[in-house]
Amino acid sequence: MKLIVKRKKNPENIFVNIFSLSVTMGIAFLIVIVLILFLSKDPAKTIRYFFIGPFLNRYYFGNMLNSAIPLIFTGLGIAIAFKASTFNLGGEGQVYSGALAATAVCLALPEANGFIGGSLAILAAIGVGAVLAGLSGLFKMKWGTDELISSFLISGAVVLIVNYFITGPMDDPANNLLTTREIAKQYRFMQIFPPSKLDISIFFAVLTAFLVFFFMFYTHWGYEMRMCGLNREFSRYGGIKVKFYLVLPMILSGSFQGLAGAVSVMGTYHMSVKGFSFGMGWNGIAVALIARNNPLAVIPAAIFFAYIEAGASAAMIHSDVTFEIAAIVESIIYFLITAQALKDFIRYRKRRTE
Amino acid sequence: MEGISKYFPENRVQANRNVNLVVKKNEIHAIVGENGAGKSTLMKILYGLERPDKGRIVLNGKQVSIHSPMDANRLGIGMVHQHFRLIREFTVAENVVLGIEPKKNGLFFNRDKSVRDVRSVIEKYGFNINSESRVADLTVGQMQQVEIVKMLYRKADLLILDEPTSVLTEQEINRLFDNIRELKNQGKTFIIITHKLDEVKEISDRVTVMRRGEVVAVKETENVDQKELAKLMVGKSVLFKLKKDPVSPGAVVLELKNVSLKLKRQERPLLDRIDLKVRAGEIVGVAGVGGNGLGELEDVVTGLFKVSEGEIFYKGENITGLPASKFREKELGYVPADRLNRGSCLDSTVRENMIITRHHDFLKAGVFNQKKISVFVNNLFKSYSITGDTSVPIGTLSGGNIQKVILARELATNAELIIFSEPTWGLDVASGEFVYENILKLRKNGIAVLLISSNLDEIMNLADRIVVMYRGRITGRFTNDKSISKALIGEYMMGVRNDFN
Ligand SMILES: Nc1ncnc2c1ncn2[C@@H]1O[C@H](COP(=O)(O)OP(=O)(O)OP(=O)(O)O)[C@@H](O)[C@H]1O
Ligand SMILES: [Mg+2]
Repeated sequence: MKLIVKRKKNPENIFVNIFSLSVTMGIAFLIVIVLILFLSKDPAKTIRYFFIGPFLNRYYFGNMLNSAIPLIFTGLGIAIAFKASTFNLGGEGQVYSGALAATAVCLALPEANGFIGGSLAILAAIGVGAVLAGLSGLFKMKWGTDELISSFLISGAVVLIVNYFITGPMDDPANNLLTTREIAKQYRFMQIFPPSKLDISIFFAVLTAFLVFFFMFYTHWGYEMRMCGLNREFSRYGGIKVKFYLVLPMILSGSFQGLAGAVSVMGTYHMSVKGFSFGMGWNGIAVALIARNNPLAVIPAAIFFAYIEAGASAAMIHSDVTFEIAAIVESIIYFLITAQALKDFIRYRKRRTE
Repeated sequence: MEGISKYFPENRVQANRNVNLVVKKNEIHAIVGENGAGKSTLMKILYGLERPDKGRIVLNGKQVSIHSPMDANRLGIGMVHQHFRLIREFTVAENVVLGIEPKKNGLFFNRDKSVRDVRSVIEKYGFNINSESRVADLTVGQMQQVEIVKMLYRKADLLILDEPTSVLTEQEINRLFDNIRELKNQGKTFIIITHKLDEVKEISDRVTVMRRGEVVAVKETENVDQKELAKLMVGKSVLFKLKKDPVSPGAVVLELKNVSLKLKRQERPLLDRIDLKVRAGEIVGVAGVGGNGLGELEDVVTGLFKVSEGEIFYKGENITGLPASKFREKELGYVPADRLNRGSCLDSTVRENMIITRHHDFLKAGVFNQKKISVFVNNLFKSYSITGDTSVPIGTLSGGNIQKVILARELATNAELIIFSEPTWGLDVASGEFVYENILKLRKNGIAVLLISSNLDEIMNLADRIVVMYRGRITGRFTNDKSISKALIGEYMMGVRNDFN
């Protein structure tokens, strides 16, 4: 039992927490600046590229937005799971296998109509992600297996299997790279901001965020899902089928991960490359945490992550920063911000389940 | 406390307005007031859980500033909350020492010492708990004792008890009061919030009456009677009179046949061969001391727990083993004893809490009709005179108002059977009476009511038939008429008598 003392500190209320988040971000950036001062021979230039690099030209800017697209999808997927107090740590494998599934469908239908074949490819990706994550939900429902662990383990195995396909049966014999063949032209999303790789799916991503928001807060499933996430005992008492909501959020979560994979293939890479989607799943968790599981806040959170990445690579290209330093800078920001968001999230959950 | 004011902007409530509270050393000071009058808020300010907007706190002639419970503890102030704050998985001793654990080598948790220390506190003041039992296994009365022991362990001299008796049985209350008197003799000072005016008379030296955030009177307890207190609280005189029309019960709505509940690895069944019938238009009261199967009975008749043996029938249909959601589809109303975890979802809004049982009614193609919900919620707010905003988390409402929300929601189902478990815990006199009136109204409308309660007065006032439970078994069945007395039922509750051995 518990008493509610400080209601104000509800981390799901993004406005309340924007302040503390900004403080953390400030600190993270400060550390970055200090690091750059030490590591770079021309710190002023490096810092400049790091912070404003992504806005310097159409190419950088478009690419930054482009790399936010899969993060929006993975972030949404994780947010849905979190909102229902289920955990999907299998994003990596789900994105990767979704990408492979989409690639496979496109390659299997080289002559099909772009819309029909494309839809099939997307559906296949969604299906694979949904099944992988849904399995963990099902195990949880049937035997109480922790979905956090099972999704992580399944994902680990799936990554290896996908690797095998990309480098084995589906490898493109025409080149020495570890990739599949390219998908046919009609499946590639329209580029909207040349010369950058930004494609039309950004609108799709934003629309999806709004749809998820609507789903969560205005529909009956969203309501039942949130109630189960906040208090299962109460939900059961109220007549909600709580077991169903161990599986549904996982299925939805996996679907969005798979979708992220499909979008990366059809919008950006036009093939599956070994390891190309690594990080999208983990970053999706960070994005959801920063967004406090609010689907609309996922959009800026994803763009923020894409911005850091773009800044680091701009600094790398235009200054003397090596790839390692860029990676360090990125991970410092990642860890600080994730840690802060995670801390609030855990504290919040603890209080709730006390 | 001088000139204390506190405003909650979230729901635009002035919880305290220029409140002065004087508590003398070594007295027992009662605070009374309606639900939402601001009693808990005032105490939370004293205990450092809320910051006042204005005002100051003077302790032993010195002005003090209390920013946190730690500050309060240092100053010798301890508080037991309206809703307990114990960690259920921990033992009694672990809960008591939590935060100020004795250390071994200045580093490690010293379990033995903490068990020893806690046991000595328990013995010194004559409490009835084992320092090594898990809190989850205790009765509510025992949890209460753990909370008090926790304060004593922290060497509190001023003890604040927020509605300590609302969850206790008569015997437990007597025991608590004995403890309090004993502690008073040892020099402690008490502030006690309560809704039961007879308790004010019994235990307190002075009483402060609050209404809508303000202090309206401070009296020597000797010089006021209950009527006058009630009048001061609500601003008008209340008439305590329940009218029970004769009703002839109809068909059997709920029937339990030989129901048992047994947990693995547990010798004694929690429910032992229970037979029970509830008819339409009849109130069946189940009396018992906490921990004797009342809670388990509540769990199985609502489908939240599966019975291990026996059958449950609803209007002749066998519903044994159906999931809880199916029970709800049968339009069962249920007001649980555990209102904070089961009865409400503290982190979601009042609105969302109010529609949980009926949310399917507000749907149009899977999407909620927000207008319809507003109308529904606002109507309930009005007819149950609940104060507060409907879009704030329900956890910000006062304890009494939370219970009213639950009641309103459950009575709004078209249920033919309503199960009440401890429906008036924490309600003020007027609200309690309001609940009683509603229960009687249900009875008049031909609804079957199962009233599970450890409050014997409540049962004797309302029930048509009374069933007494002791150690998971039914020990006595009575028709509630002149022939039975409270004392008699009490003997059955304590297991002194048993008709069915
Ligand atoms: N943390 C909070 N945030 C917002 N409003 C609050 C908060 N705590 C209390 N309130 C509001 O302040 C008012 C007084 O609440 P309080 O809990 O002090 O009442 P009370 O006298 O203890 O009532 P009860 O007898 O029902 O426990 C209520 O209207 C309540 O909704
Ligand atoms: Mg209170």
